[in-house]
Amino acid sequence: MGTIDVYPYPVPEEKSGQQVVDTIQKQLELLGAHKSGNFCVDCESYQSNIQTATQQRLLHLFHNSEQPATCFSVLDSGICLVSDLLFEVLVLKLTEKKTGKECYYQQRKGFKVESKGQRYELGDFIVKVGSVILASNFRGILIEVEYCPCVIPSECWNLMKEFMQSFMGNMAENPPAHIKSKMDTIYTPEDTIQQYLEHFNNFRKATSASVPATPNR
Amino acid sequence: MDSTGAMGQVLSSKVAPVVENFLQGSVLDTSKDVLIHRLRGLCDNAENQPEIFHDHEIVFIMQGNPNQQPINFHARHSLMHPDAWHLRYLGVADIGDKNKLTLIRHCVDAGVSSNVVDFLNEMGFKIDFEFIAKGYFFHKGRMKVTVSKLYKILQPGSTDQVEPLSQSHLVELSVVAPRVQEQIGEDMKNFAEQLKPYILYKIELKLDHLQTV
Amino acid sequence: MQKEEKQLEQSLEGLIQRVQELKNAIQLFLLKLEHEYESLNWPSVLDNFALLSGQLNSLGRLLKNDKVPALRNHVFLPLVLSPDRDAELEKLTERRVMMFNHAVVPDYLRTKPEPEVEEKISQLTNKAGTVVQETAQKQFNNLNKITSNLLDIINSAKEEWESESNQKSSQPVTFSTADTNNLVSTILFGKSIKVTRKPDTSNTQSQGMSNQQQQQKVQSATVSKAPSAIKTQIKAASSSHPYQRP
Repeated sequence: MGTIDVYPYPVPEEKSGQQVVDTIQKQLELLGAHKSGNFCVDCESYQSNIQTATQQRLLHLFHNSEQPATCFSVLDSGICLVSDLLFEVLVLKLTEKKTGKECYYQQRKGFKVESKGQRYELGDFIVKVGSVILASNFRGILIEVEYCPCVIPSECWNLMKEFMQSFMGNMAENPPAHIKSKMDTIYTPEDTIQQYLEHFNNFRKATSASVPATPNR
Repeated sequence: MDSTGAMGQVLSSKVAPVVENFLQGSVLDTSKDVLIHRLRGLCDNAENQPEIFHDHEIVFIMQGNPNQQPINFHARHSLMHPDAWHLRYLGVADIGDKNKLTLIRHCVDAGVSSNVVDFLNEMGFKIDFEFIAKGYFFHKGRMKVTVSKLYKILQPGSTDQVEPLSQSHLVELSVVAPRVQEQIGEDMKNFAEQLKPYILYKIELKLDHLQTV
Repeated sequence: MQKEEKQLEQSLEGLIQRVQELKNAIQLFLLKLEHEYESLNWPSVLDNFALLSGQLNSLGRLLKNDKVPALRNHVFLPLVLSPDRDAELEKLTERRVMMFNHAVVPDYLRTKPEPEVEEKISQLTNKAGTVVQETAQKQFNNLNKITSNLLDIINSAKEEWESESNQKSSQPVTFSTADTNNLVSTILFGKSIKVTRKPDTSNTQSQGMSNQQQQQKVQSATVSKAPSAIKTQIKAASSSHPYQRP
């Protein structure tokens, strides 16, 4: 585990998502990267249904294929609980509707997001090119770049920037917002999840904004 | 990696340990040492000193409107390794079946990071009560035996100022399995027989007990 | 006279039967020892010995029985000794004794110990005769003393043992049912440790509650056990909003 930066990659109007993914992958392969399996980061969201609470809460449940036995739960306040996969069963308990009873949390339908695709290794770097799928529709591309030997973002930012520019162009001009705030702390898998959450939320917002125009389903 | 699918798989394939068979009892402090001695002989690793634990348990409750059934989560961490937290859901013990040799309840365990208290608070849970449990831990195969002294926390938040509850140690026998198996009940019953006269027995917890709290 | 003869006959029959049984048991045991010595285990050997000793006991009891006439008063008189093979005898003894001749009779009809043994006995009697009366008395006393001492030790050990086992049966209480119930309610429901938080949680809860519910809360907070009433109230309360869920 090293430092990870996640960036969205724009999809031009005239191209399909797959075409762009193919281009990036071809570029990576030209750089000498080799495929090392698939990856997937997914997120399911739950909405609180507690009347006594002052505000409604959103609970995001994440899985990352890089940490297959772990489940990350993020509340909208940003606090992230790292737990065994079985924590999900605990959440299921809260969503359970017993006869005549109501649940405390309910799943938000059509809110499931995942980013999945090919995983590449190139020396000390791991690159993942993910297609973002929201409610089974393609929404965009997220590129995750990991530099394995270093866990302090500030120490390796310049190196990572140079590497990323070699195939992503000037997309990676600045560190991701979440990383910016903690450049000098030790990077943890939780930080990866926070980055994905930020991007997933952006995709969701963009979708809900465009829904009236193109009602999909 | 469909999340609900993966979870559904875990649950339906019945590999996740979610059923707890348990027996509970107590032993007076004066006789505790004899029981410990006997347990050392009966359980695995008899040649080692018994493992000790010193845990702090916080029980959280989620309560909503009258149409929502209150739900409890037990968060526990060791005071010897304060960062190791553990979250547990316990169902109501199955009291309907008199033929069962042990009490059976639904049980979900998950290891969690140390920010679990804040997390549960933000999720809408409230602290219901907390206590300290200190004692010995034994295992025999997959059976877990704990002999623990419970302490009341005098000052909320301070785990040092405690006061013992009752003159007895709580004795618990537990096996967590993926599903209900008759054999487990029998094994546990046989084991409990050997702890006589420190009898562990099925406690018929009445439902009204639950409602009053 | 005739009655006595009949009795003798009967008791002889009994004796023969017992001896036959004993013989069979020994035979079986020997057979086992010879053929199953590989799979034979100690407990089953012990079982065989127990069987033999039981049969010997019952034989002895038969001999002591009142109904059996004193056999020592009867004389066994060999009338004929013959060096020829006796087919009848052979059959009776299962081919162990072929003939009733001069060679076997002294062995089988012996009433005195063997000569060497007799000699030893007479030696010992002579030796005992030479001991001075006083020393004999002393040794007597010594033996008596030792025996009574031993008896005392055995008796006291027995008493100790018995009192110990008595103690065990009336063992002190090692657990308390009330404590078990209390401790279990503590870990599950926070009994006796959840006092300070109770009022404020119920206050915040009560905002959205109907009167009925509030009543129930108060009740449950004050009365620790109010089983049936509470259950029905909860039902009543939930059924008052049957269509709340969309």
